[in-house]
Amino acid sequence: MFEKKKIITSTGVEVRKKPLGLRIWTNRGYYVMFLPVAIFVLILNYWPLLGVRFAFYNYKPVGEPVFNGFENFTKLFATDAFWVAFKNTLELSIMKLLITTATAVIVSIFLNEMGNLLAKKALQTIIYLPHFMSWAVVAAVASLFLSPSVTGMVNGMLRDWGILGEADKNIYFLANKDMWRPIFYIINIWKETGWGTIIFLATLSGINPELYEAADIDGATRFQKMRFITMPALANTILTVLILNLAKVLNMFESVFVLYNNAVFEVADVISTYIYRQTFAVALPNYGYSTAVGLFRSLVGCLLFVICNWLSKKVRGRGIV
Amino acid sequence: MAEKAVYRQKKKKIKLFDIVNYIVFILLGLIILVPIWKVVVDSLNEVGIYQFRLWPEQFTLGAYKTILEEQTLIRPFINSVVTTVVGALLGLTLSTLGGYVLIQFDMPGRGLFATFLTITMIFSGGMIPEYLVMKELGLVNNMWILVVKHGMSVYNLVLMRNFFEGIPASLYESARIDGCTPMGIFFRIVLPLSKAALASIGLMFAVGVWNDYSTVKIYITDPLQVNFQYKLMVMVADGDTPNTSYGVSQTTLHNAGIIMAILPFMMLYPFLQKYFVKGVNIGAVKE
Repeated sequence: MFEKKKIITSTGVEVRKKPLGLRIWTNRGYYVMFLPVAIFVLILNYWPLLGVRFAFYNYKPVGEPVFNGFENFTKLFATDAFWVAFKNTLELSIMKLLITTATAVIVSIFLNEMGNLLAKKALQTIIYLPHFMSWAVVAAVASLFLSPSVTGMVNGMLRDWGILGEADKNIYFLANKDMWRPIFYIINIWKETGWGTIIFLATLSGINPELYEAADIDGATRFQKMRFITMPALANTILTVLILNLAKVLNMFESVFVLYNNAVFEVADVISTYIYRQTFAVALPNYGYSTAVGLFRSLVGCLLFVICNWLSKKVRGRGIV
Repeated sequence: MAEKAVYRQKKKKIKLFDIVNYIVFILLGLIILVPIWKVVVDSLNEVGIYQFRLWPEQFTLGAYKTILEEQTLIRPFINSVVTTVVGALLGLTLSTLGGYVLIQFDMPGRGLFATFLTITMIFSGGMIPEYLVMKELGLVNNMWILVVKHGMSVYNLVLMRNFFEGIPASLYESARIDGCTPMGIFFRIVLPLSKAALASIGLMFAVGVWNDYSTVKIYITDPLQVNFQYKLMVMVADGDTPNTSYGVSQTTLHNAGIIMAILPFMMLYPFLQKYFVKGVNIGAVKE
């Protein structure tokens, strides 16, 4: 095995001595193969970068874009709705990240304790399932269950249990400022906890069983083993998951987009949904302004990426990508 | 004797823990399955009810028949199927090609290509510049936007690359010495050895296209071009439901719509679960 590797490196060195033109010519097939990928990436990812300049323009659907310097940004920073959206984005996605990671860790520790392999497999199959449902489907189910109409299950149950009296009106859960966030977190737990266990279960299956045997001989209880063997082994993975996801906290969009409504903007509006409304839900949008919001989001995202990349290198010796 | 008693006591304790553990997990399984079952039952029940029932009271397939017969509902479903299949194929083509090129360590410019792709994961133009480009390309109000948008995924391309890296380099070497072209190696060696990765990454692309709602919401207003997820949201959230036939209630139709929106993958899921999960592990190996 080692020898083969050596041969490759030695040919590598040999190849490197050849003139560049020849090396390009011998690899010409690969350049052709990369061409379709390059075309798609250029069109989908690089061409929009040119459009970022509109952040400094006044650009309405009718008429030509007019350069206006930093006007979009001064307007942006003076807008309350934007800061609300910015704060909500951070709060919602960081809370969501912490909650779903915590539940995933707990579930995987207990799942790991399950002796019966068949039962474990069956449960894994079930708890991964919601991850493959779209946010549209999850939101549709949520709004049917939480509906304030007579067919809403939760309201009906509250009535049956006597929590809602005869005179009370049905509760419109998703339009209630105090209830929207808890509901949002519960839905996220329901949808993503199972999927989140995969990486922790992989770590747990990598723990040397001799550690548990040694602990058994020393008379450790099950909870002591969890506390002193399982948890420390997971610590690094938990940190990795948190760092990797911290870089993406500003990306939150679809999960909020399908669940929020104009009664809960104050607690639910995030940057991406704000951009959407400023562009597609107003009569005469200023593309320049929405682009400026997007650019601000991208820049903060970049900063987060750099921080997380640095943290990741510190913690686990390699960057995010 | 005393030792034995202690041992016995301990064993009992372990049993108690196991029982509690099973109960907790049965509850957990129910928390996930009960809402889905409630939707299934409601989709087969003629009138809308709020109670949870194990079986519909007045059984009817009317809601599903309505979906199959109503043009404004079946058309989005067909759009979803077509875009999902084409999107997954395009996604697989691009990610295998790109992933394969990225493991050609002799190729001048390989590092440059890798950087070219990585930058896109760090910085993006954002929703509006992207919209303006798509408008330029004539993809606004066109369902193929779903294919174009999901067909290229740098993340999946890197997963593919990681998988290809696991194929022994000696196989490539010997094929090259036997005079196989890059394309020949790709089709005769790389792809046949990567069936598992192709299945799992193909599924990831398919799920991505099928489940997409926001792209349609942003780009498409023409009712003939929307996908089923969008149509479902229009029905349930905006209350814009077509007239139902067969005497079923609107709620029944909504529930049936939800089932239709998850049906294709729920049918495949038990058989392909390992491929669904494998994608994560291909990524995790490199963690």
